[in-house]
Amino acid sequence: MSEDTILTVENLSVTLDGTCVLSDLTFSVKQGEALAVIGPNGAGKTVLFRALLRLLPSDGVIRWRPGTKVGYVPQRFSVERSTPVTALEFFLLISPRFWRPAAADLRQVEGELARMGLDSSILRKRLGELSGGQTQRLLIAWALIQQPDVLLLDEPTAGVDATFEETVYALIHRVQTERNKTVLLISHDLSVVYKYAQNVLCLNKSIVCQGPPLDVLKQDTLARIYGEPGYYTHKEHPQ
Amino acid sequence: MNFMRFAQQQSFWIALFVGVASGSIGPFIILRRMALVGDALSHVALPGIGLALIYHFDPFYGVISFLGAAALLIFWLENRSEIPADAIVGLLFTASLAIGILMIPNDDIIESLFGAFPVLGTGFLLAILSSAAALTILCVVFAKRFLFLIVSPDLARVSGLGRGYELALLLIFAMIVALGIKLVGTLLMGALTIIPASIAKNVAPSMRAYVILSALLGGVISVAGASIASAFRFLPGPSIVLLGAAVFLISIPLRRR
Repeated sequence: MSEDTILTVENLSVTLDGTCVLSDLTFSVKQGEALAVIGPNGAGKTVLFRALLRLLPSDGVIRWRPGTKVGYVPQRFSVERSTPVTALEFFLLISPRFWRPAAADLRQVEGELARMGLDSSILRKRLGELSGGQTQRLLIAWALIQQPDVLLLDEPTAGVDATFEETVYALIHRVQTERNKTVLLISHDLSVVYKYAQNVLCLNKSIVCQGPPLDVLKQDTLARIYGEPGYYTHKEHPQ
Repeated sequence: MNFMRFAQQQSFWIALFVGVASGSIGPFIILRRMALVGDALSHVALPGIGLALIYHFDPFYGVISFLGAAALLIFWLENRSEIPADAIVGLLFTASLAIGILMIPNDDIIESLFGAFPVLGTGFLLAILSSAAALTILCVVFAKRFLFLIVSPDLARVSGLGRGYELALLLIFAMIVALGIKLVGTLLMGALTIIPASIAKNVAPSMRAYVILSALLGGVISVAGASIASAFRFLPGPSIVLLGAAVFLISIPLRRR
């Protein structure tokens, strides 16, 4: 493993209920890199993330650089409306002072929320009362506040309104460049991939292609990944 | 008469300590959607009581071993998606009730099912009270971890929380049920853990408030229920549960949206 490699994956396969969902994946991620994982529904993108987080059993090698702290923003997260867990308590789950939070903890939470465009008044609301977009932003703030070395974002803007979507990506990008964080991102939005990712992993049970977006995302590869030529091509060419 | 007063005093303290402990664990059982399992778990204790009566040892040991085994079984079933856990739990719990009923002599059946005012040696009483206090403290100390695993098992595991805490939750729950069975009975003790938490859930503004309120309600309802029972010579178990159900009805209009 070279010095700046933060994640090495070799011959990774995942089998769920007898069905092979991911087969023989080999790739590596460098520190500070933004890697976008793309592929059609059912391609195994979320499964890959869950395997990397060791939430699923897998075969092959997953090697994080020792001491790497991983933050995760899951695609699906819902808490029942009647569950009396407040947004503040959701943050306190990762604080050593659950019962008596310190004022400094609160300020830190409020600061992180403000960066995600959330008002601190939502801290008193129940988690189940928040809208999809609010929940998504809260989850990103929740992941960032833990100062992870690597962020795994599974469709981080699902449910976030279009105007704010750009802000979320810009913010993630800033975090990545300013603090030299590594970002692994699942996205359906190829314009985002072009703009923010240094590398792309095209997945359809196995790796269809990988490399920098401009080299990889060509008409014929997209057709191979999604099976619909032209449908996903980007309109604007980035400079 | 002195004897009666003694029994009532003992019951008062058991009701208070076990009620608070039941109220402390209840929110986590409710939020894990285990209300029905929790309610029926206490039935499993009945064959334990039966064995104790047949082989002449203290029923408490029969109760605690059967409940502990049931908690382990639930934990094991939860990890196996291919087995219909709810059907098995439902079947097993009612079957143990049936076996227990056949094993227990008629004279002891009512007391086993619905509880009684126990007369215990001082040492045993203190052991029950201190265990209940210790289990309450464990609920408070582990509250954050229990809640984390409920809100998002995935995020909890990424943050390094193991499944051991899920087992701890079930075992603490089983022990609290065991402590209350003498007073409340095998049919109704499960309900004592569920009722205060159901009431508190209607009004609690936050999770921390929820646990505290549920614990307080657990204490108040069981002490008040036991007092009503001793004043009117009712069985303690049904009195506590009915009082709790009445408070639950009152709390419904107060529910937060």
